[in-house]
Amino acid sequence: MESSILESIGVEIIGVMSPVSICMFLVVLLVYSLSPSNPFSSSPSIPIRTAANLVYLETPSDSATQKLEGSLLNALVFVILIAIVTFLLVLLYYYNCTNFLKNYMRFSAFFVLATMGGSIFLSIIQHFSIPVDSITCFLLLFNFTIVGVLSVFSGGIPIILRQAYMVSLGIIVATWFTKLPEWTTWALLVALAVYDLVAVLAPGGPLKLLVELASSRDDELPALVYEARPIVSRSRGSNLGLLVGGVSDSGSVELQAVNEGENRTTNEGESSPLVSHSRERHSFSSESSEHSTVVVSSDRVQNREPEIVVDEEMSPLVEMMGLGNEREQQTRRDNVEVRGSGSDRGIKLGLGDFVFYSVLVGRAAMYDLMTVYACYLAIISGLGCTLILLSVCHRALPALPISIALGVVFYFLTRLLMEPFVVGTATNLMMF
Amino acid sequence: MTIAAGIGYALLALGPSLSLFVSVISKKPFLILTVLSSTLLWLISLIVLSGLWRGFLPLNSTSWWPYGLLLFTSIAFQEGLRLLFWRVYKRLEDLLDAFADKVSKPRLFMTDKMQISLAGGLGHGVAHAVFFCLSLLTPAFGPATFFVDRCSQIPFFLVSAIIALAFVTIHTFSMVIAFNGYAEGNKMDQLFVPVVHLAAGLVTLVNFASGGCIVSIPLLYFIAILTLIHCGKMVWRRLKEHQSTQGNS
Repeated sequence: MESSILESIGVEIIGVMSPVSICMFLVVLLVYSLSPSNPFSSSPSIPIRTAANLVYLETPSDSATQKLEGSLLNALVFVILIAIVTFLLVLLYYYNCTNFLKNYMRFSAFFVLATMGGSIFLSIIQHFSIPVDSITCFLLLFNFTIVGVLSVFSGGIPIILRQAYMVSLGIIVATWFTKLPEWTTWALLVALAVYDLVAVLAPGGPLKLLVELASSRDDELPALVYEARPIVSRSRGSNLGLLVGGVSDSGSVELQAVNEGENRTTNEGESSPLVSHSRERHSFSSESSEHSTVVVSSDRVQNREPEIVVDEEMSPLVEMMGLGNEREQQTRRDNVEVRGSGSDRGIKLGLGDFVFYSVLVGRAAMYDLMTVYACYLAIISGLGCTLILLSVCHRALPALPISIALGVVFYFLTRLLMEPFVVGTATNLMMF
Repeated sequence: MTIAAGIGYALLALGPSLSLFVSVISKKPFLILTVLSSTLLWLISLIVLSGLWRGFLPLNSTSWWPYGLLLFTSIAFQEGLRLLFWRVYKRLEDLLDAFADKVSKPRLFMTDKMQISLAGGLGHGVAHAVFFCLSLLTPAFGPATFFVDRCSQIPFFLVSAIIALAFVTIHTFSMVIAFNGYAEGNKMDQLFVPVVHLAAGLVTLVNFASGGCIVSIPLLYFIAILTLIHCGKMVWRRLKEHQSTQGNS
């Protein structure tokens, strides 16, 4: 019996949705298991001070207007910071400082994994009282971090490992973001969704520039991006947004990884003489003209996401790690983008999308499980809509706006309308 | 221990659907998307319904008829939505067939169509279990449990998990029956589904009487098993027919 088309439709969509789901699920689990652990400790009473709440520090006793104004200001400042850093990134990329950018990215991955990840591991160890001595713990953390750093921007690493590290970076950053106060979180999410929309779609938007630059150089984006598994076989015209790919068995992961590695190296081999050494723009453009036609035809979709740069002052964590005086602000960047390019690479989703989806779900988890499910469904369907749009529009698209809008709407609908209804009927054992 | 209890309740409600998901659905990405979209549809229906009823809540908990009305409107609304879902699915089926022709693959098999309807039903069922049982389960992971007055023999979480399991079964398989009924134009099957849904909903009204859950749960399971048997017979018949037509041609 010939295999039906059911098995091949939607592979790409699922390839993007499953890591996002895993990321959200783990963040919710972390938020759930860690939040009751510290009602007695001092950490919730001293809210962390980060770039996301530079202006206004929310306290529960403030009035609603105060909170609203403060959180809006916070969000504004945060978005402006992100915009500045993104422009800086674009500028650096424009002047071919790719190596600097890559090393910077590695550094930030190292920093995130080691310190923020470390503090999360510490709190897990404390909460579940896992018997681990400090040397073992340090060694494990060190190894975890180093492998993570190596897996960013280097060929030869199995794609599955790379993907796993991208997801864990997302989890770690999102868990940190859930420590922001409530109003600020919501304002921030909405502001970021709007920023994302502008930065990707508006002419002159930094992310649009970045993607165009990268695709004209046929280069990898200098950013932290999750790649769905590359599609090996056919690339066909997408019909009504049913993205079809040939990969369905997880058993072929190894093969996939090898393919990807080869792909990558050949890609680099091709592009480096073409692109990175062509400092003179003319030779570059003449060379790339042939190239870019290829790109255009095969790049079904270029989806670009918000670039999120987070400046956080790591004070609690720095103390925890005993790194006393290093208090300078660390800039970390999670570049977010959804970019699906032709047949040799899968859909790409920026890490920032992972982070902020998970932040929304994690924030919802602090209220109730019901809001978690509603937000999860809303975000996933928003992501699905974005992917379908992607196959229609054939260009980079922001992944945050639809999902975040749906997520926020569903959160409040669930909280205000549905919960009294469901609780009222279910506690009377009425169901339908 | 408490975590074990919580997970146990969750698995009681969702275990069968989980195994169905892993064994049938998860291998075909399109079916996963169907499950997700039908879950979303159910959630939207719930939100709309709660929006409609929000003004009247909380209901007077001494008389049963407001709840009867609530159940009736909800079920009527959801059955209407099922028709809508069928329309959308019909269009999707045409598109899929056209697409299959384009990439010169075989069109949808009959089993594929049944699997799609199964996935749609599973989405509804899972949504039910998630919102009516799982979302209230958070306290069950803590050190205490909760009893409602009217059913003081069994913990509330256990009752809701058991009821949710029955409803998951009903939702999942009645979708298969309904889609098949629509496709064949079989009036009996088309009517069977809303009647079963309504009956199951009204049976939960028995819970309103003190100790009613002892009566209502067996009744509910009777309905669930009836649905299951009906669905099984129908699928068996269709498969037989299909085989014989294939043998002839």
